[in-house]
Amino acid sequence: MTKGNKGVLARLRLSSLRLRLVVVFALVALTAAVSASGIAYWLNREAVLKRTQDSSLNAFRQEMQNRVATLPLRPTQEDLRRTSEEMTAGGGGYQVLLLGERAAGKPIVGASDPDVFTLADVPVALREAVDTRRPVTDANPYAYHLFWQRTERGGTPYLVGGTRIDGGGPAGYMFKSLAAERADLNSLAWSLGIATGLAVIGSVLLAQVAASTVLRPVRRLGEAARQLGEGKLDTRLRVTGADELSDLSRTFNSAAENLQKKVADMSAREESSRRFVADMSHELRTPLTALTAVTEVLEDEQDSLDPMIAPAVALVVSETRRLNDLVENLMEVTRFDAGTARLVLDEVDIADQITACIDARAWLDAVDLDAERGIVVPLDPRRLDVILANLIGNALKHGGSPVRVSVHTDDHELVITVRDHGPGIPEEVLPHVFDRFYKASAQRPRSDGSGLGLSIAMENALIHGGTISAANSVGADGAVDGAVFTLRLPRDASAADRTGDTGPRPGEGVDE
Amino acid sequence: MATVPFLLLIEDDDAIRTALELSLSRQGHRVATAASGEDGLLLLKEQRPDLVVLDVMLPGIDGFEVCRRIRRTDQLPIILLTARSDDIDVVVGLESGADDYVVKPVQGRVLDARIRAVLRRGERESTDSATFGSLVIDRAAMTVTKNGLDLQLTPTELRLLLELSRRPGQALSRQQLLRLVWEHDYLGDSRLVDACVQRLRAKVEDVPSSPTLIRTVRGVGYRLDVPA
Repeated sequence: MTKGNKGVLARLRLSSLRLRLVVVFALVALTAAVSASGIAYWLNREAVLKRTQDSSLNAFRQEMQNRVATLPLRPTQEDLRRTSEEMTAGGGGYQVLLLGERAAGKPIVGASDPDVFTLADVPVALREAVDTRRPVTDANPYAYHLFWQRTERGGTPYLVGGTRIDGGGPAGYMFKSLAAERADLNSLAWSLGIATGLAVIGSVLLAQVAASTVLRPVRRLGEAARQLGEGKLDTRLRVTGADELSDLSRTFNSAAENLQKKVADMSAREESSRRFVADMSHELRTPLTALTAVTEVLEDEQDSLDPMIAPAVALVVSETRRLNDLVENLMEVTRFDAGTARLVLDEVDIADQITACIDARAWLDAVDLDAERGIVVPLDPRRLDVILANLIGNALKHGGSPVRVSVHTDDHELVITVRDHGPGIPEEVLPHVFDRFYKASAQRPRSDGSGLGLSIAMENALIHGGTISAANSVGADGAVDGAVFTLRLPRDASAADRTGDTGPRPGEGVDE
Repeated sequence: MATVPFLLLIEDDDAIRTALELSLSRQGHRVATAASGEDGLLLLKEQRPDLVVLDVMLPGIDGFEVCRRIRRTDQLPIILLTARSDDIDVVVGLESGADDYVVKPVQGRVLDARIRAVLRRGERESTDSATFGSLVIDRAAMTVTKNGLDLQLTPTELRLLLELSRRPGQALSRQQLLRLVWEHDYLGDSRLVDACVQRLRAKVEDVPSSPTLIRTVRGVGYRLDVPA
């Protein structure tokens, strides 16, 4: 994954936390602003409407007492109309409708402006309430009360009020438009809405700031954790302040410190045991060198020895060789473990190299080689020989003849497959074939091989920047008919040899 | 070989020294031994051996230093006994002037084969001579002169020059040279060739860092050019 990709992902992930913070802040601000505005609006509305209503109704009541109560009991329609006009002119800002009876059962109506206010505009319920005569008691000194109702006509709100003069006078109704109040209230609502919007925007900005202050340390922590994961165990965070994030940083630092100490301890222990194995095998080499030098002397004399002693000599000779191989392999492994193994590259003709490897071990009769000459690849010939000897030797030992070695190349890779016709490798063993000292089965003779061969072959492939894989080959009948080891080496192994200590080749000087 | 080769074995470990002496004697060599570099250098002056087998890890002056001191005065073949083949030891040893190396533990037969191969390099094989600019290779006398002055070449350097001069203008791969000069099998170490070419250039080229005679052919090996 590229670094840029990672950055985008991290930002996306972080921004989701940012998003949550913003949403929560916005919701809180919205809730607070809406409820505050709602209450303010409602209180205001009640106050405004009540004031308007009270003043209008009081004026109306006054007018009723002043003007209507002085009307004769049976007024003419003209009386009513005039009186209602006078009442309207009184400055209450309302229209008046007076309802009297010229004779019993003959209602007459006088309106200040019949275009604006007619009897039809008075809700029936209000008329009933106004006309209802209430019994006069101590608690209720009047038979008729003033009633009002807010209604709407053509989308405009109105206040309609009505009362009746005690003692059978005409009933009067007033009709006041509340459009001005509504306009005031609407503009109040708009202001409150804008304030709410501003509050939400402010909260979002605040959330951004809060998110940044929280997320910056979180991002630093994430970055530090990533570095720690990449093996930079000396990664530490700067701790400032005493908030929860600082606590977290402190925890991270102490965890990293412990981890570093543990890893240091472990690698020191591993290093010392590795050094022990390396030193030990090195020490073993001195007596082995002496032994090896004289085994040939013994070997040469074997025929002339006492028949009782000859087998003992033969045993000493063969076991010295085995010990030799074992120590050699052990040293090879410790070199790989310590990272001191080096490639010594040379241009090698693969077919020649494989033929020589097979020939040197007298395997020519048992191995089919399918390789064209002329494939020249830079690699370490000694290491390739170790790999091939182990793979082919293993195939001959555990598989069965014929063993077939084939070579393919493409632009980047050299592929050598070693295929035998034996029973194959049991499925449960396959993942372990390259493990050290892993024996495929207890029945298998362990007389030959140190148990390190395939793991050394793998290490030798890895140091070239290549690899080896093991698989079973399945025949046409679906049965396993042999094991296949595939060695893949890059065609340019010099890239893998950056750590090489050989430096520029002597001889590849400045000429040409 | 007409005479019995006379070897000087410098090895500090008693067991290895005794065993190698035993083995090499059985292979038909006359062997003198020394347990330290100082003793070895002394013996070298007194007894004039044909070849030195030299352990790298020695108490006192180490194998590399012994090698360098021998090279100051003598061009006799030196074979190093080293611990590992991919070690820096090999590179340093070859730069110090060693002709070949074997890795411990070594079988007597292998060491014997290397010894005989090194000794063969000094044998003359033809009677002609060749001239490359100011360089004259006299194959009869097995000498090389530059501007009339005798060059002190080790048998390995001489053999390398002879093999290259036999095919002037033709590139030889490192593996080919290993077979021709060192008589190594397919696992020959190409660093032997590179180190020997470096030493040879230092002796035969006018400016060793920009060679005109022994040229590198990238990806192949080396060739000897006839100067125009």
